[in-house]
Amino acid sequence: MKAIYGLYGDGMSAQQAVNRLRANGVADRAIVVMSAQPMEDFEFGHMDSRTRIWWMACLGGLLGMATAFGLTWITEVSWPINVGGLPTFAWWPNLIIIFELTMLGAILATVVTLFVTAGLGRRSSFYDPAVTDGKILVGVANPPEASVGALESALGAIHGAQVKTI
Amino acid sequence: MAADLDKCTGCGACVTACHAENNISTVGADQAARGRAKHWIRVERYWEGEFPDVRLKFRPVMCQQCDNAPCEPVCPTYASHHTEDGLNAQVYNRCIGTRYCANACPYNVRFFDFFNPSWEKPLHLQLNPDVSLREVGVMEKCTFCVQRIKATTIAAKAEERELKDGEINTACAQACPARALVFGDLNDPESEVSRLSRSSRGSKLLEDVGTKPKVTYLSRGN
Amino acid sequence: MAHSRINNDLLRPLFQTTWRFYLLVGLFGTVVLTALVAWLSQAYFGFGITGIRWPIYWGFYVTNFVFWIGISHAGTLISAILRLVDAGWRRPVTRCAEVITVFALMIGAMFPIIHLGRPWQAFWLIPYPSERLIWPNFRSPLVWDFFAINTYLTGSVLFLFLPMIPDFAVVRDKATGFRKKIYGVLALGWRGTPKQWNRLESAMSIMAVAIIPVAVSVHTIVSFDFSMAPVPMWHTTIFGPYFVAGAIFSGIAALLIAMAVLRRFLHLQEYLLPIHFQNLGKLLLVMALLWGYFVFNERLVTYYGNDPSEMAVFWRTQRESFAPLYWTMVVGNFVLPVVLMGIKYFRTITGCVIASIGVIVGMWLERFLIIVPSLGHKYLPYSYATYRPQPVEIIIAIATFAAMTLLYVLFAKFVPIISIWELKAGDPTDRFGHSHTAAVRPVVMDRPRD
Repeated sequence: MKAIYGLYGDGMSAQQAVNRLRANGVADRAIVVMSAQPMEDFEFGHMDSRTRIWWMACLGGLLGMATAFGLTWITEVSWPINVGGLPTFAWWPNLIIIFELTMLGAILATVVTLFVTAGLGRRSSFYDPAVTDGKILVGVANPPEASVGALESALGAIHGAQVKTI
Repeated sequence: MAADLDKCTGCGACVTACHAENNISTVGADQAARGRAKHWIRVERYWEGEFPDVRLKFRPVMCQQCDNAPCEPVCPTYASHHTEDGLNAQVYNRCIGTRYCANACPYNVRFFDFFNPSWEKPLHLQLNPDVSLREVGVMEKCTFCVQRIKATTIAAKAEERELKDGEINTACAQACPARALVFGDLNDPESEVSRLSRSSRGSKLLEDVGTKPKVTYLSRGN
Repeated sequence: MAHSRINNDLLRPLFQTTWRFYLLVGLFGTVVLTALVAWLSQAYFGFGITGIRWPIYWGFYVTNFVFWIGISHAGTLISAILRLVDAGWRRPVTRCAEVITVFALMIGAMFPIIHLGRPWQAFWLIPYPSERLIWPNFRSPLVWDFFAINTYLTGSVLFLFLPMIPDFAVVRDKATGFRKKIYGVLALGWRGTPKQWNRLESAMSIMAVAIIPVAVSVHTIVSFDFSMAPVPMWHTTIFGPYFVAGAIFSGIAALLIAMAVLRRFLHLQEYLLPIHFQNLGKLLLVMALLWGYFVFNERLVTYYGNDPSEMAVFWRTQRESFAPLYWTMVVGNFVLPVVLMGIKYFRTITGCVIASIGVIVGMWLERFLIIVPSLGHKYLPYSYATYRPQPVEIIIAIATFAAMTLLYVLFAKFVPIISIWELKAGDPTDRFGHSHTAAVRPVVMDRPRD
């Protein structure tokens, strides 16, 4: 069996379903929740929210800064050309280049980190288009055969649930 | 350079000589009226006073080869830069035609090639082989006849001797019948141009803009 | 459920196409093609077919460049700043604004190539180790432009694209056949797990924080194209903030016009509410006052200093040959928005559109009046001149507006113009202007026809 899940009409029911799954011994890591919008008002919306993306952005910015500094320093000092009496390596104009590439580095690092950590572009395990119509999906992927019955009753116990298996 | 405004008669021989020496094409009456003429040196003519007390003043204006040239830092491809000789060089091959240098120049001595130049036969035989032709889309300007400077400098080096004052002459200075234009080495304090630059009649054009131009204009009116 | 209704309303333009769409695309596409032909003829016959002349070497092309880069500040203000201060009313408006940013940037960024004398060598601005053993001049404002605009373009495209991913997932779920496959690829396997939402929202916060200084820097650097040259009335330190304020100003105006058009033609009356227009109208008022402040500053300092060459340009714009354009600009940029947006009775959707059109005209004129009067009247009277734009430049200028409209129409056809997930994530009272429990019109169709 690929997955067993329940579709719920609102956040409260979904939260109850998650709690029941936990009560049945399912680890947080194994619980899959899907929604059409971020459900930050509920606890399950904060599952797995620790992220290093801010650090990666800073790292990207530093890389950009180093690249810009290297680019301007090395090229201007290796081929010194006199323009209007400005110094060969002039800080004020080069700071502009350094600033832009720093920000570009931060932005690109953010996007790359997002793609990698959110698993974008990778094949997903299962999905139900009912999520788009506002249903919240709570389920378990690849559940062990023995526990299917218990999970089914746990998910189905909440009022208004639609339990499905694939 | 030094330009003596008290001697200048506004004859325009310098303009013609410059066109001939530097392969500057004429653009035709129609295009000239639309502001596309490329007179690397031009004679500015000003009227002063009311009739019948009118006075006419002439000022030959060419690239001032500024030490603090505003045209140099703004060129994105280093086409406009300062050489060790102290000249402002224009490298046609690097120019992509942004025209920023021309906007920055307070003297308006930079010109853009709006069309590919053409010479009616047999005038093409008169072209100077030492000066490259510029294609459409690049900027050009007075170079103080850098081809003459280079040729004489190389010859002097080959002969293992120093350059004498007056040995190199730009086309405009050579052609001026009134000897109003004087060209030379400002680094040599004994040269005629150095002497003239220290004259009490001397002043620089648009000196307050801060470009540090190297052309001294001599005039009693100062 | 409200979810289905939102999905249906906002996906309708994607799934239903009328003859109006093809007419618009055909019409604006033709104008854009005409401009392409015009520019190719410029490359072929020589730059001389433009009105550029000694010593006015920048004209319509650079005006359009600065104008469109300015318009691109719409998205940054609305999307990034309002996102950071968590203003709920931004939700239906963010994508409209971000789209303007991306397309305006693309159009504006073409002009540094269009106005080159040798555009086939424009790639020399890219810092790569070339066989000519030379790198770009990092001390030149034009190279700063290259870096700044590319950074901003990259950032804006990503800022636009990231929140589109969940919406592509919605389209994927609602579409069938070939469309389903395409949007499936674009949705990048989005499922909507809390992990993905958290990462996406963190990324959006970082991007919002990063894109604001980039946007400020971009238009400041564009202003440096002028302030770095010793031209009368260019060489002033006020240009940086003046240009940024003007950019945000014109961006809001463009956004108001776009929103009004979308509301009418895509039937988004329940999503783009009068309150949105009123809030943006208030922002337009603030920016108009700020613009007036900067102009007053610039003019007073020039007037007080009484420098002969600066005053000559000053009077040229205020009293002499450019006076009609100048005073039109003042009316469009200051009088009209302050009156229409300042008086509550006039702050309707129509009022906002009229004020915005005035601002667009006024801001275009402002760019023109910064560039041309100064260049035609520098220091030496012998070289004073007048600029007369030629058909090439006029066609290309008009075509930029056609290109913007064309790109917008195409975008609204393929991507939901209002961010579906952001709308759903917001407070219901923001969404419909009334409480969630009020009677909702029954859903007519659950699955749109394909």
